[in-house]
Amino acid sequence: MSGVTPPQRHYKLTDAVDFVIIGAGASGGVLARELSRNGFSVVVLEQGPWLTTKDFTHDEYMNWNHALLTNDYRKQPTTFRKTPKDKAKKRPALVYGRMVGGGPVHFTANYWRFHEIDFIEAGKKGTIAGTGFADWPITYADLEPYYTKAEWDLGVSGQAGVSPFDPPRSKPYPLPPMPIKSSGVLFEQGARKLGYHPFPAPVAILSQSYQGRMPCAHCGFCMGFGCEMGAKSSPLPTMIPQAIATGRCEIRPNSYVRKIELDTHGRATGAIYFDKSGKENLQRARAVIVAANGSETPRLLLLSKSNRFPDGLANSSGLVGKYLMFNTDSLAGGLFEHPLNEYKSIEVTRIMHDFYEIDPKHGFYGGGGIDARFLWYPIQFSFNGLPPRLPQWGSEYKKALQKYFTRSMYVVGHTTSLPLEDNSISLDDTVKDAWGLPAMRVTYKDHPDDLKTNQFMRDRSMEILEATGAQDKWAYPVQESTFGFHLLGTCRMGKDPKTSVVNSDHRTHDVPNLFLCDGSSFVTSGRGQPTETIQALAFRASDRITALAKQNQI
Amino acid sequence: MDTDQTRRMFLGQAGASLGLLWLGSLTPDLLAQAHAYAQAAGQSATKTYRFFTPQQAADFDAFSAQILPTDETPGAREANVVHFTDYVLSTIDRDQQADMRDAFKSLQEQVAKTVPGATSFAAITPAQQIEVMKAIEAMQDAGAFGLLRGFTLTGFLCDPALGGNKDKVGWKLIGFQDDFYYKPPFGYYDAHYDEGKS
Repeated sequence: MSGVTPPQRHYKLTDAVDFVIIGAGASGGVLARELSRNGFSVVVLEQGPWLTTKDFTHDEYMNWNHALLTNDYRKQPTTFRKTPKDKAKKRPALVYGRMVGGGPVHFTANYWRFHEIDFIEAGKKGTIAGTGFADWPITYADLEPYYTKAEWDLGVSGQAGVSPFDPPRSKPYPLPPMPIKSSGVLFEQGARKLGYHPFPAPVAILSQSYQGRMPCAHCGFCMGFGCEMGAKSSPLPTMIPQAIATGRCEIRPNSYVRKIELDTHGRATGAIYFDKSGKENLQRARAVIVAANGSETPRLLLLSKSNRFPDGLANSSGLVGKYLMFNTDSLAGGLFEHPLNEYKSIEVTRIMHDFYEIDPKHGFYGGGGIDARFLWYPIQFSFNGLPPRLPQWGSEYKKALQKYFTRSMYVVGHTTSLPLEDNSISLDDTVKDAWGLPAMRVTYKDHPDDLKTNQFMRDRSMEILEATGAQDKWAYPVQESTFGFHLLGTCRMGKDPKTSVVNSDHRTHDVPNLFLCDGSSFVTSGRGQPTETIQALAFRASDRITALAKQNQI
Repeated sequence: MDTDQTRRMFLGQAGASLGLLWLGSLTPDLLAQAHAYAQAAGQSATKTYRFFTPQQAADFDAFSAQILPTDETPGAREANVVHFTDYVLSTIDRDQQADMRDAFKSLQEQVAKTVPGATSFAAITPAQQIEVMKAIEAMQDAGAFGLLRGFTLTGFLCDPALGGNKDKVGWKLIGFQDDFYYKPPFGYYDAHYDEGKS
């Protein structure tokens, strides 16, 4: 792909376009393509840069420690506290993709549908006191066509029909699964010995050429990196150029929105943003869609205070920013006799969903999926990859690095997080970002059942490692979450304007021409791989918004 | 997830004053210049430092050589860890300078405690150095040890374009190749995979 920004339609600030979309990521990219294809004029304001494949690098230090593709804490500090009673301290509290293409540019590309139960679990199992555990206003059946659309329009590799726990699907995956790695072989053998049902991991990575794009070269740099081959099916090589090709969509990078404007009738009129030079602009629009992720979407609403909405835009429920869910991850490692060379190829090739719903007889709510993978790059491995019983410096440590970098794998559990009202995104009282706006304050403490679920998955992971014949195995400790990379639930979807922020069309209950569509719309957390659901929601929202616009109901 | 630990080690103390300085500073063009500088610095025969004092450089050299000693295989010294660290601290990691100065101060204080009268970490015997390192590693706030160890490991295993991992000695040691293209099988177990039997 050429590094030159493709020619595209340019709109004037004073042209009231049909839609301004805030965020060119997982959902914003989809909405931009769908709405521009449906004939609407669209401007997408993206706070991050417009990088191309030639800008990507395998430099671990620059990607992971210098935020090449993500929010940079030096420009956009975050603060963290466990409960609303605590004083928040300045430190990295969450990460998100900050560029055209968004989080899926650097994601691991695990691409799981939610199951039927994820949408109706509270109704089926009962609500949980002290939580906001609730059913979605839509069901799996409502979203199924859009899961299929996401898989086929973006390009997903996998094998349908092999997991007995898979939800019904109208079409198989468009591409066969990726070749199995040693971690997948060992996991498959170990899990089957224990009577479980491992199956090929569905991933948004091309196992074969697809729609003019090259297949994966197995270089091994997925999580945290942009794909130089364009084989990772993020919006960057798919939705974005397709939106541009309509001639009706302009992607405007380095555009940091600070406020959504309202008129005297309480309708959104556009978005005020800082451009690259720091100059403030107002892009006018007939409707505004915020797709800025589960942390920036509520933050922008909270920043958009007005006389009509003194507590933040579209916040009559008081729930904007509340019910943040991170998912938890459990982690266990194993060392093996022969080289696995897990640093090659994609991260995950086998997963299992046998504990998608943990039996309530264990005494807690929860569930999740388990995968096998290599979790690190060289520097990270030297920090975190060896069992704690081994020396952490000196000649013996060096020998361990030498021996085990190629001979280790990890079993990772991805689990539910219950929605808790105290867990939230809010505006910090004192800390400001580089543009002078209040910094994002994160309040988060896992529900006890989330930690029990995490421990349960860890125990199962250790049993699987035992069954693989690992020479040595160890579990990383269960800890309360203090850092989020899945940002979910902060403007939840629902029928009742008192208990939710958007309706099932993603329209805010308070402002008729303001829509929110990203991880913030989630009602429950799912089992740790939210991207496909974020994108399926965006495909569905595009259809809903198109229908409303055509009926003159926006 | 646990990469949080890595991030915190390097970013947790990021200074408030940097603010606007960082806006737009990490463009690919600037990165390319930084890499070129690092390579030139790494190849330079004369050891001049932009952040370290000569004493700090000597102490960090001795410290990093205990973390990753030169034995039958190359260690921190062969990877050019000191030059890498000096480079990043004087360019892209200026926000870590204060913490690094504090770390050297903690190290020096422990040297004075463990070996009364000693002038520097570099000047004491290897056995004494190990004693000092174990002491600061065991401190309640092990930030000094973590930071010095962290920069050592990073300089050993980073992209050589940043000036460390010279001649890829770190990557060669652990068996990491940096090719852009591989074909299956990747490892022993997938090479011996028999789907029907597993």
